[in-house]
Amino acid sequence: MTATITTFHPPLSQPGFRLFDGPLCDVADVSAGQIGVVGMPSDWTHSSRLGTRFGPEALRKATTLMQSMRPQGVSFDPDTRRRSAPADSWLVDCGDAEVTAQDVDATTQAIAAMTEGLTIAGAIPLALGGDHYNSFPACLGYSRGLVKRAPDKRFGYIQIDGHLDFSDRLGAWGSHNHATNARRISELPNIDVSNMVWVGIAGWVDGGDLALIEKQGGRIFSASDVHNMGAAEVMRQALAHAMQGCDELYLSIDIDAMDAGYLPGTGSIVHSGITPRQYYDMLDGLSEAPLGGLDIVEVSPPLDPSERTEFLAAEMLFRILRRFRTRPVTEQ
Amino acid sequence: MPLRSAPLPRMAGHLSFMRAQNKAICDVRSGDLAVLGLPFEDTSAPYAGQSLAARALRETSVYFGWHANPQFSHPVDIDARQDIQTDGLHERLCDLGDISPGHDKAIHAALRAAASQISRIGACAVILGGSDHLSETVQCALPNCQTVQLGGTPRDARDFHISTLPNGSARLCQSNTATQLTDLSKWRDASRPLFVQFDLSVFETSLGALCDYPRLGGCDLETVAQWLSALGQHEASAIMLTGLNPNRPGMGVVKVGQRLMVTALLAFIYARLGFGIDHPGCPTSKENVPT
Repeated sequence: MTATITTFHPPLSQPGFRLFDGPLCDVADVSAGQIGVVGMPSDWTHSSRLGTRFGPEALRKATTLMQSMRPQGVSFDPDTRRRSAPADSWLVDCGDAEVTAQDVDATTQAIAAMTEGLTIAGAIPLALGGDHYNSFPACLGYSRGLVKRAPDKRFGYIQIDGHLDFSDRLGAWGSHNHATNARRISELPNIDVSNMVWVGIAGWVDGGDLALIEKQGGRIFSASDVHNMGAAEVMRQALAHAMQGCDELYLSIDIDAMDAGYLPGTGSIVHSGITPRQYYDMLDGLSEAPLGGLDIVEVSPPLDPSERTEFLAAEMLFRILRRFRTRPVTEQ
Repeated sequence: MPLRSAPLPRMAGHLSFMRAQNKAICDVRSGDLAVLGLPFEDTSAPYAGQSLAARALRETSVYFGWHANPQFSHPVDIDARQDIQTDGLHERLCDLGDISPGHDKAIHAALRAAASQISRIGACAVILGGSDHLSETVQCALPNCQTVQLGGTPRDARDFHISTLPNGSARLCQSNTATQLTDLSKWRDASRPLFVQFDLSVFETSLGALCDYPRLGGCDLETVAQWLSALGQHEASAIMLTGLNPNRPGMGVVKVGQRLMVTALLAFIYARLGFGIDHPGCPTSKENVPT
């Protein structure tokens, strides 16, 4: 007699990590109002310390792990002092853009195509770097998508960063690298330098770049400004400046604005004195901003054996995406 | 004339401090800053790796080689919103290379001779250590100097020691810097040049990360830069960097220690060369700055 053979089908999960453990989704299937995640695992446009090509994977893993440790139901948020519950269907992960090493144009167009598609659909592209150059293709796609979705709309730009990234060229890397991304963004048709703001700049910057920004009406808040004025006030002024005459905000989060003593796993470290708490306060200051698109860049896991960098960066995402990932609960 | 007129990738080319010109010691002139590497370590140190500090500091310094890259204009201190005109930097900053490996006595003798010769010329040696026990050799070679120690272990009560912990007569780094700078002025004998020993342990431990002898409760970068900027305005025969181990176990990729040291050292170099940044509340004079 042959025993009945039954096949056990355990529930299978998707292999690998997605940001916030969100579902995988093609760009074409994203809904309006959702956050659409695009990985940009490229670091060959960085001029010194590499490793940010592992950033998207590290962010996906860290956000998934941190999310699993947070309350899954209604909870009290000590930062906002409000009760909230996780939101549904707020984020989808569209995977990584196709990166073609040694071909900056192909990589640029591949990333831009994804963020453009998301923007046209009314979603908010969230691009995961990668070195900071990749912020330009992410914003390029957003800019193109905005032109198609709302031709008359303009966007403001805030870059939290230890550096200006406003050079026209950098050595052998030419015009497209991690020191020129903001300059290239300033050349897009639906933004003006007078709506561009830098926050967290530390140390010495190039005098020519600084003069050009200020001549054209851009605004710079140094790390000392964050210390002296307070993170919340700096962000209030930054947002007000960036949004003059604009409809949406593009936010570029370069994690290296945080002091390297806290966060060493990044390509171009600075000693800004900016603490994790100050960085989070800055992001909290943008929690209600009219985000059209954003990126987070320069997470380089191989440069931080302690692995704390990706968790600090993941917490940045928890902060800036708070209003998307949670819904308020009013009942007692 | 500029060191070179074409941009190079950051890590390419011949390695020198801030891409400074290489010179023989006999070509050093009065008022120059002459960089000298000490790729040696004390075998009693708790970890191996301090001998790699000179190279690590040079590699990090290349990032600040503004004067050697025609694509950049002058640097601006974004906090002070102050231009720093580095046009003359390449004329007065030079790199002599490293003391050659050899027998312990020969290394000490070479270091003593080099420090003494640079001092006699009227230049300032920027010595990239290496173990801090070699600083005693430098101190012996400069008997006329007054010694200022930032961090490290105090050796002589006559020295001006900026400490991170209460330690005899040492000044605590967290207390009022302006008051301490006044103390420095009182202690200072303007007829004698300075020897500055700058140890990584002066920094807050959580910032330094690559220090073999970390001290809790140290300074932030701004405070150390303020001190070095003030000290750079005095006549100095040598500044010696110690305490950096770029190869701490498992931490070889974390470059925060060398970045801290070079960033702070620039405050000294700029002040020494007359490009100094005035820090509010810093009661120093520029009388000794060569022009």
